[in-house]
Amino acid sequence: MTAIVSVHSFRGGTGKSNTTANVAAVFAGRGLRVGVVDLDILSPGIHVLFGVDQDGLDRHLDGFLWGRYPLRDAVREVTPPGVAGRIWLVPSSVAPHDIARVMAEGYDVGLLGDGVRALAAELELDVLLLDTHPGLNEETLLSIAMSDALAIVLRPDHQDYEGTHVTVSVARKLAVPRTVLVVNKTPESFDPAEVAARVAAAYDTPVAAVVPHSEELMVLSSGGIFVLHHPDHPVAALYGQLADQLLGSAVRA
Amino acid sequence: MSDRLHGHVLVVDDDPVNRLLLRRALEREGLTVEVAVDGGEALVALARGAGFDIVLLDIVMPVLDGFEVLARMRADPATAALPVVVISGSDSSADVVRAIGLGADDVLPKPFDPALLRARLTSGLARKRLADLEREYREQVGYVVDAAAAVERGEFEPGSLDAVAERPDALGVLARVFARMTREVAVREQRLRAQVGALRIEIDEARAARTVAAITETDYFADLQRRAAELRSGPGRQDQENR
Repeated sequence: MTAIVSVHSFRGGTGKSNTTANVAAVFAGRGLRVGVVDLDILSPGIHVLFGVDQDGLDRHLDGFLWGRYPLRDAVREVTPPGVAGRIWLVPSSVAPHDIARVMAEGYDVGLLGDGVRALAAELELDVLLLDTHPGLNEETLLSIAMSDALAIVLRPDHQDYEGTHVTVSVARKLAVPRTVLVVNKTPESFDPAEVAARVAAAYDTPVAAVVPHSEELMVLSSGGIFVLHHPDHPVAALYGQLADQLLGSAVRA
Repeated sequence: MSDRLHGHVLVVDDDPVNRLLLRRALEREGLTVEVAVDGGEALVALARGAGFDIVLLDIVMPVLDGFEVLARMRADPATAALPVVVISGSDSSADVVRAIGLGADDVLPKPFDPALLRARLTSGLARKRLADLEREYREQVGYVVDAAAAVERGEFEPGSLDAVAERPDALGVLARVFARMTREVAVREQRLRAQVGALRIEIDEARAARTVAAITETDYFADLQRRAAELRSGPGRQDQENR
């Protein structure tokens, strides 16, 4: 059975896509078959982290949603060299006219749900990661509703606190079996244990990782996946910890 | 000359010839010289704080004699430790005893022997330098003590120990370590304040509840709630489970 995991943040700029890509790499490193769908249709970007050139993005999620081809045709394998498992990515279109069309016309959200579930079956995925659009629009609510686990990424910042509270409340109403928080871009001077304790208490939700604001993460944020370049770095261990908490004992290599 | 002396000398003598001879002899040694024609003028010059390193003092003078000048100098904390060499034409050993009793560092007979004068000046200036160093050391220890009190009051100025920190000795090390530690503590406190501020998670519950209601009190959301379990175990996933 495929475990569906949504990675969400109420606001943009929290490092959500980076978190998704790193967790995908951790799972694949453990030998799992991993799918990643870029549901951030209005501001796609995770393909960059997997080294996909946007000029080659001729097949994408948008095309599937408009009925041009099956979702399987929009999938591309992005497994990094030397990784035991496999990673497939469904990118979203970066073409301005495609994004404008989504904004103007919308799409059948129900088709999205059916499509990703069918894809999970076809590729025999162990884990399907959904990199959602910030906020809580219909497709984000759908992805949360169909998820076995939800990671909500926030920064230790007043601008993120209330939206995170809303997201946690909504996730509870959708009875997501496992919800965890990821405190990202945490100033290195902060005490991670203190941050985790305060955030967990404020939302009554476990904190899976407190990721520091790392110079290395900044440098690699748009050019690669951190855990692959720095597997022995303490931050890589934090992504491993997050991966553990997202799946628990449901899926292990 | 490699063994030239360095210092600022006050020559106190009412005899212009003696003043001239002393000035020439002292300037030849490399010293800078100021003169006073009697005891009163000498005290005025000293009170000006002109930074003298040694005083050459005649005894028999109008206005105030050398004994009186010496007594007043030793009574004033500003000049109490300033070396004084009495240059006296008196043959009386009682005068010598009295001068030393009043705090003269040395007594030279007139006319002075240049070699003897140089030797007296050398030792006097060395004492003055040592006294200056001791005074500076005590002052700078005081700065460190003051800095500790300022830290306790929360008023420590980071640059206040810069001069002490330049010392090459143990006091300099202490000042450098103290300044570095206070800087580190200040930075840590600043970071902690930022952390406490950033982690004060205050949520407007009423507003958040309104936002949640706006999202969840819709037909779409009600449908999702009904279908959530089905979505999580939908047909595609059942297919996999049955593989």
